[in-house]
Amino acid sequence: MNLISPSEKDFITKGIESDLRNDGRTRIAYRDFIIETGIVSQASGSCRLRLSKTDVLIGVKVEIGDIVSNTTSDNNNEQEQDIVNSQSENDKGRIVCSVECSPSASRDFEGRGANDINNELSQIMNRVLNGPQGGIDLKSLCIIPGAQCWVIYVDVLVLDYDGNLLDTIFLATRAALQNTRIPKVEIQDIGNGQLEFEISDDIEDAEKIKGWEDVPVTVTLNKIGQKYIIDATAMEELCTDTKIIIAVNKSGEICAMQKSLYGSLNPSLLTEMIRTAKDIGKVLIKNIDTTLEHEQVMASRANNKKFGFFI
Amino acid sequence: MDKRRINGPEISVKPIEKKITQTNSNDNEIRKNNRSIENIRPIFIKPNVIKKANGSAYYEAENIKVICGVYGPRSSKRSMVSDEGNIYCEFKFAPFSCNKRCGYIRNAQEREYSLIIQQAFLPAIRLNLYPKSTIDIYITVLENDGTTACLAAAITCASIALTDAGIQMYDLVAAASATCIKGNICLDPDASEEENDTNSKFMLSYMPSLKQITHVLCTGKMEAEQSIEAINTCIDACNSIKTVMDHCLINSL
Repeated sequence: MNLISPSEKDFITKGIESDLRNDGRTRIAYRDFIIETGIVSQASGSCRLRLSKTDVLIGVKVEIGDIVSNTTSDNNNEQEQDIVNSQSENDKGRIVCSVECSPSASRDFEGRGANDINNELSQIMNRVLNGPQGGIDLKSLCIIPGAQCWVIYVDVLVLDYDGNLLDTIFLATRAALQNTRIPKVEIQDIGNGQLEFEISDDIEDAEKIKGWEDVPVTVTLNKIGQKYIIDATAMEELCTDTKIIIAVNKSGEICAMQKSLYGSLNPSLLTEMIRTAKDIGKVLIKNIDTTLEHEQVMASRANNKKFGFFI
Repeated sequence: MDKRRINGPEISVKPIEKKITQTNSNDNEIRKNNRSIENIRPIFIKPNVIKKANGSAYYEAENIKVICGVYGPRSSKRSMVSDEGNIYCEFKFAPFSCNKRCGYIRNAQEREYSLIIQQAFLPAIRLNLYPKSTIDIYITVLENDGTTACLAAAITCASIALTDAGIQMYDLVAAASATCIKGNICLDPDASEEENDTNSKFMLSYMPSLKQITHVLCTGKMEAEQSIEAINTCIDACNSIKTVMDHCLINSL
């Protein structure tokens, strides 16, 4: 475990009290990030995002999977209800997220401690992205209703760590999903209601994921003393007793909210945090979208080359 | 006019209607069960139900049934030296509790809920009084009728069990759940209301006397102002759940 001395903690807390942080930022200032998409050739979409020293690599793979209905029951009374359910569930694809914190990134990710962190982060991602709040049109991932669908696997690898991991992951996920292309599928009817599909090999035919624009980003607010900050560094995270994670989408709607760590907070402070998160989330999405647009313009130029891992 | 028949009166009068208040009829349209939007299921809590445990409690609210056992403070299994105690929580759905059978090994959701319950109690328990020791909380859901409501029930139940075990706490922790149906915040949603995944789900745990939120969990799209409204509604519900908890604890003495 990373440790912090009481005097360091006091210094950071007092600084935040007077709206000045160790790296010269104010309480609600974000660090700059570097982003690069499409750097893993084997993946359907990929992105590497660095926020100061926090470094994540995301690979998205799309694969064909079976549709699993959420509700199966043998109870006669509920059969009718089940049919209604299965109809609504049968035409949806799904997203599977998993986070892997590399033990080389931080001492916190060693041994069993990593399992808890990985599980918590993966669960938050799965909860936010699967469902209407995730933005992605799950119905468009369906190939044959009741049988086959596209499954989007989002695998996150944390390479380096300097605080604010979850925000970084969500920013990178948005970029990676923007970068993802799904191969085109042609469905043929081979008689007596049987359907067959063929996957096109042509890369030019591949389509973007529908609804990536509405994928939310998270804003993590760390309560230090009686104030809160966003985008905390690893040192500042050690001074934090309560963390509030709020997912916000492009139009400023709240998509998820969760508390973490061991502290508690006042209802009025939480209200204030929600309003701040809403404003910051909207700005963040705008920033990342302009960065991605800029990258696409650069990519369309003739002498485009990827920097990859060497910057 | 037909004289052979008995004719009705020529003038008609409006039928006398039973007066139904506007809000009630609206509520009925929103919720299928006969509850108004800010109505929670009646709660029954009984402490000290497991003899072997240091503290235990049973919670029932219509079809939600939760049992919780608290063991400890006992010495930590890991030999790590710490001047603060720690909490270990295990949340489990009984195999027969849900629509679908769930196995004996805890799945990702149950592990996450365990973590949430642990985080909800960390601010409430005076851990500095229990160095080198662990407090184990084991929660089993016997019957599930709304997963979010079950989580809230588990927290409320564990709170009573901890009190029953004589663990020193700053305050009782009460928890409430809510869902947003067609823009209305409805408290304590049941399984049928939860199924529709366009409804956002909300869970909040709160220390009523200290006025501190110990945990908040929310999934689903919501306007910022609406989520603030949901927080306030849940806080009110927590306050009323606290009176039930107080009553139950006083009765058990």
